[in-house]
Amino acid sequence: MKIHNLHKGKDFSFYTLKQLQLDEIKLAEPMVPAGFPSPADDFVEMELNIHDYIVKNKDATFCVKVEGTSMTKADIHSGDILIVDRSLEPEHHNIVLAVIDGEFTVKRLAVNEGSLYLSPENDNFTPIKITEEMDFLVWGVITHIIHKAI
Amino acid sequence: MIALVDCNNFYASCERVFRPDLENKPIVVLSNNDGCVIARSNEAKALGIKMGEPAFKRKDVFEKNKINIFSTNFALYGDMSNRVMSILKANAVGIEIYSIDEAFLDFSGIKNENKVAEDLREKVKQWSGIPVSIGIAPTKALAKIANHIAKKHTKSGVFVLEDKAIIKKALQFMPVDSLWGVGRRYAKMLNQSGIQTAYDLTQVEESWVKKRMSVMGLKLVQELKGISCFPLETTTQAKKNICTSRSFGKPTKEYKQLSEAISIFAARCSEKLRKQKCSASEIRVFIYTNLYNPKHKQYYGYIKLNLDVASNESNIIIKEALRGLKMIYREDCIYKKVGVIVSKIVPNQQVQLSLFDEMQNRPKYRVLSSVMDMINRTMGRDKLRIATQGFDRKWRMREEQLSPCYTTKWDDLLKVKV
Repeated sequence: MKIHNLHKGKDFSFYTLKQLQLDEIKLAEPMVPAGFPSPADDFVEMELNIHDYIVKNKDATFCVKVEGTSMTKADIHSGDILIVDRSLEPEHHNIVLAVIDGEFTVKRLAVNEGSLYLSPENDNFTPIKITEEMDFLVWGVITHIIHKAI
Repeated sequence: MIALVDCNNFYASCERVFRPDLENKPIVVLSNNDGCVIARSNEAKALGIKMGEPAFKRKDVFEKNKINIFSTNFALYGDMSNRVMSILKANAVGIEIYSIDEAFLDFSGIKNENKVAEDLREKVKQWSGIPVSIGIAPTKALAKIANHIAKKHTKSGVFVLEDKAIIKKALQFMPVDSLWGVGRRYAKMLNQSGIQTAYDLTQVEESWVKKRMSVMGLKLVQELKGISCFPLETTTQAKKNICTSRSFGKPTKEYKQLSEAISIFAARCSEKLRKQKCSASEIRVFIYTNLYNPKHKQYYGYIKLNLDVASNESNIIIKEALRGLKMIYREDCIYKKVGVIVSKIVPNQQVQLSLFDEMQNRPKYRVLSSVMDMINRTMGRDKLRIATQGFDRKWRMREEQLSPCYTTKWDDLLKVKV
């Protein structure tokens, strides 16, 4: 179904709803009385879908909003939205949403000489070494950072 | 074989996915209007909190034990349920979604059920964050028992109930009142007849069972004996009736508030009908007072109305529901709960037109409804509404402990400090 603009008034715009019938769907390029048919006509229904690009596994994908400055060198800034995929195995150098003793944090995962670290991307912060006493888990792996440009 | 996948303490688990600080801490979820306990984490169960308990009666216990209380957040639970079901669906030949947190899976032809189920359980937990238990058996009734065992008595959360001797043992441990579909009344009758366990029930004459518990009871007994009587219903059947009702946050006697609520619920029922491409010809309206308040006059108003022609148009159903409300409304009562039920549901193509139909412009109304649905889908719920649905919603639900809609609203996303 499609919404068509019917009438644009000063204060109100009117729309009508149209159910696409089979015979309305273009199978061939439209007849043009003269000249060359637009080569783009075959592709009018196609458009980019950002969701398809960003979300690979929708059942396991979540969004979180960040606040803070510890990851600025990884281009993560306050107000950004992170796309988290829980189905991915965390690997060395992934940015992860982790939980330490019940608290969420976002850091880069690093394996160094057999030890696990959560590394910030800001020189004013120090890496956190994961020890056995800590209650630690990787909640999910960050796959994309959505940052507003304006 | 049939597998029953059941989410562990589903509502509490949903809250916990986004609150890892509540791991191993007691959680309860309260019903609409923060009335009764409808979900408990294991820790809350251990503290003796019972299902269905009115919250106000246990306030001191909640406080003393630092129990974390949540109002129901159906947007969140619905989304998490969809994720779990979608993962299950992708990993099974057939699925029957039985409720928001339970599904039967077709496990026929699977050789190492235990391993397959354990892997599936791990995947659901990893991807969605929700822990599940899986019981596997030859029939649905036995799968239900297997699930119970998986949840209570295994570490792996998986239990296969197939061996004859083990089935017998499991049935001997299962009291009849916890069997699938056996209510309090049947349980009492069975106990009085000397039948205590599921095993006892399988030992009585089938003719006796049929006489005392109808053909459904007989089917249950056969299922317990390993004969499948309830096959997997993998295609979703249209609902037989649709009910929308809520309790008022603050009880009211005002007709205007009742009519607004009734209009909204009637609109909601119509939306659901249109979504499953069906129409209904029977509309029931009910209103009642607060049963827990003995000081007020008690009243239960109920009426059943018939439409000449089955319909799913909001304005037709709202109009009829309001006509019903007018007939049952009494000025001297304070109302706690109202609701609308639509039934005698048929697919749109089977709607019988009436010879004496007084409505001239049915097709036009149909277009109107679909335009409204379309706009509301894209612009947000109730952006366009029938005026009787009102705008102020004084009767809104009480939900003081509502968690954010982490997965369905941009403004409610989980916030993380980095």
